[in-house]
Amino acid sequence: MVVLSAARWVRSRLSDRFWRVQEVLKYARHFRGRKNRCYKLAVRSVRRAFVRSTKARKEKKRFLRALWITRIEAASLEHGLKYPAFISNLVKSQVELNRKVLADLAIYEPKTFKSLAALAQRRRQEGFLAALGDGKEPEGIFSRIVHHH
Amino acid sequence: VAKTSLTSPPWPEVKLPDPAEEAKYHAAEVVRRVNGLISAGQYGRLFAVVHFASKQWKITSEDLIMMDNVLEAECGDRIRMEKVLLVGADDFTLIGRPLLGKNLVRVEATVIEKTESWPKVNMRFWRRHNFQRKKIIESPQTVLRINTIEIYPCLT
Repeated sequence: MVVLSAARWVRSRLSDRFWRVQEVLKYARHFRGRKNRCYKLAVRSVRRAFVRSTKARKEKKRFLRALWITRIEAASLEHGLKYPAFISNLVKSQVELNRKVLADLAIYEPKTFKSLAALAQRRRQEGFLAALGDGKEPEGIFSRIVHHH
Repeated sequence: VAKTSLTSPPWPEVKLPDPAEEAKYHAAEVVRRVNGLISAGQYGRLFAVVHFASKQWKITSEDLIMMDNVLEAECGDRIRMEKVLLVGADDFTLIGRPLLGKNLVRVEATVIEKTESWPKVNMRFWRRHNFQRKKIIESPQTVLRINTIEIYPCLT
């Protein structure tokens, strides 16, 4: 006889269900409660964990910058300068160090940080004199702009 | 005339030193002493702040740096980093405005390995909208070893 269609008891059935489930559960093994064992709960938790980690990668940059600023502020207050005065005077003296490196210097190289604070303080005083004096007084030394060609 | 609360300004009076005198002192004392220290080799370990791969790094000799991008250099190539912002030792620091001269500092590094990062999962999900996308990102990484930092006594 001629068989035109496949027999009804031949279906396509999953043979690697175990490994598909393990792929998800392996990311949930360190969770708390039943979501580290039961697939239905684990799928939801793992999905939320992945989404939160992608969003956290963007927020980590903001968080670290705030941390550096706090540390620089604390270190510059030890030398008698406030953070906005310190940063603005460093930038005006053409010293282009970023906050990450300034925080590292404040922790590991205190003498260098003290010299940077002294530089900022001196530039600040020169700025005040230039603003108040406003006459034919000599310009400050640290206020001179260095030109590179 | 009697002194009132408004005779002098409320901020403390600060007298800055004379610029000509200060330039003489700087050239004679400070520069000569630092040049002497450098040429005599009386500094311990040097550290430098280098601008490399759009980031600033605080480095010393023999330390490892990993950057999240590709470098067009083979493994084992020696590289000279030219944008040096700051060099320091125990007794003196040289602060560049914003960079230090190339005839003053020399920072050498070797490329050690070029790999890919661990597989990071990038997932987006909107609830109740049947929307989820999962992407695995393996970004290329390069590891450098800083060999030496040298300074030359050419201050003016």
